[in-house]
Amino acid sequence: MRVAFVGKGGVGKSSLAGTFARILGSSGERVVALDSDPMPGMAYSLGVAQRDAGLPDEAVEEYDESGQRRFRLRDGLSGTAAIEQYAARGPDDVYFLQLGKAHGPRWDNSRQHFGFQRVLDDLPGAGWHVVGDLPGGTRQPFLTWGRYAQTFLVVVEPTPASMLTGRRLAKLAQGAAGPRVVLVVNKARHPEDGARAEERTGLPLLGTVPEDPAVGEADRMGRAVLDHDPGGATAVAVRSLVDALRTGTEPA
Amino acid sequence: MKIAVVGKGGSGKTTTSAVLARTFARHGHSTLALDCDSNPNLGISLGIGAEATERLVSVRDAVDAGEEEHAAGGDDLVERFGVDAPDGVRLAVVTAIQNPEPGCP
Repeated sequence: MRVAFVGKGGVGKSSLAGTFARILGSSGERVVALDSDPMPGMAYSLGVAQRDAGLPDEAVEEYDESGQRRFRLRDGLSGTAAIEQYAARGPDDVYFLQLGKAHGPRWDNSRQHFGFQRVLDDLPGAGWHVVGDLPGGTRQPFLTWGRYAQTFLVVVEPTPASMLTGRRLAKLAQGAAGPRVVLVVNKARHPEDGARAEERTGLPLLGTVPEDPAVGEADRMGRAVLDHDPGGATAVAVRSLVDALRTGTEPA
Repeated sequence: MKIAVVGKGGSGKTTTSAVLARTFARHGHSTLALDCDSNPNLGISLGIGAEATERLVSVRDAVDAGEEEHAAGGDDLVERFGVDAPDGVRLAVVTAIQNPEPGCP
C-alpha cells in the first residue's frame, strides 16, 4: 500500500506514520518511510538513530534544460536503488528516507529537494509499502509531496482548529482529481469524537486512536512510542488502522 | 512593536500569538493580529469561532473569482478583509492556499 499522513501541525502525524510503518515492516514486508516534513519527527517515531537521512550530494546531478537549472538522480540511479543505497535502516527493517534538513540560512537545498522529488517519481512498485509523513498544514500535499499516495490519512484531533484543517484538506483533495482520503481521529477522549470529526470534516472515518499519555512520555524521551509502550493503546489502535487498510474494510 | 511568532507545528505558536495580541489590546494598545500561516487558524484562538475563521479565509475565494478587488496596500487589506476580534484586536489573514497547484511546495 501507498499511504501518506496529512493534517495540522501537532496532531500526531509523525507519531502515527512512524508507528504505522513499523507495524507494516514487522510482518516482513518491505517498507519505505518517506519524511518530507522539514521538521524531524518521523525519525523519532520510527526509532531510527539517524536524524538526518537525506540524499547525499553525489546522488543528484544538475543539468541544463533550455537555460534552466534542473536536477535529476545521477545517471543510472533509479528511485529504488537510491532508497536501497541511501535510506537509513531502522527497527522492523523499515527504510527511512528524508527530504533533508535546512543546515543554515544560506544552505542551498535545491539539490536535495529535487532529488527527493525524483525519488517520489520512481518509487519501488510491487512488494513495497510506502508510508509518507507530510508537512503540517495545507501546503499542497496532494500534488507535490504526497503525489505517490493511493490513500491519504487526514489526521485530526478533537479540536476546532485541527478539524478546520481537515475540512480544508478535504476540499483541496477534491481539486486534485480525487485521491482516496480517509479520516483518522487522534487523541480521542470521548466515544463520540470519531463521529463528530466525521461530520465536521465531511471525510469517512478509518479509525480512532485514543489519547495516550505514553505518546507524550515517549516524545519527551526522544523514543519511538512502539519501543516505549509496545502493547499500549496507540500500538493497538494503529495496528487496527493497518488492518483496516489491508483488508479493505476501510470506508468507501 | 512588531512581533513574529515561529516554531514547530503543534508547539503553540497560534495560541501564543492570540494571547499576546489580546493582552496588548487589553493594555490599551491598538493591535493587529496577522495570520501568515498557509493554514490559518488564528481566528479560533482569538475567540471569533471556527465558522467565522473559515468565512474570513474564503474572502480569498472571492478575490480569485474576481468578485472582490485585490487590496491596494496593507491598510486597505486590514480595513476591507480584516475582522474585529475580542478586546478590540483587528485580525487579517495574509496567506491561505485555497487551490492546489503543482510546483510550489
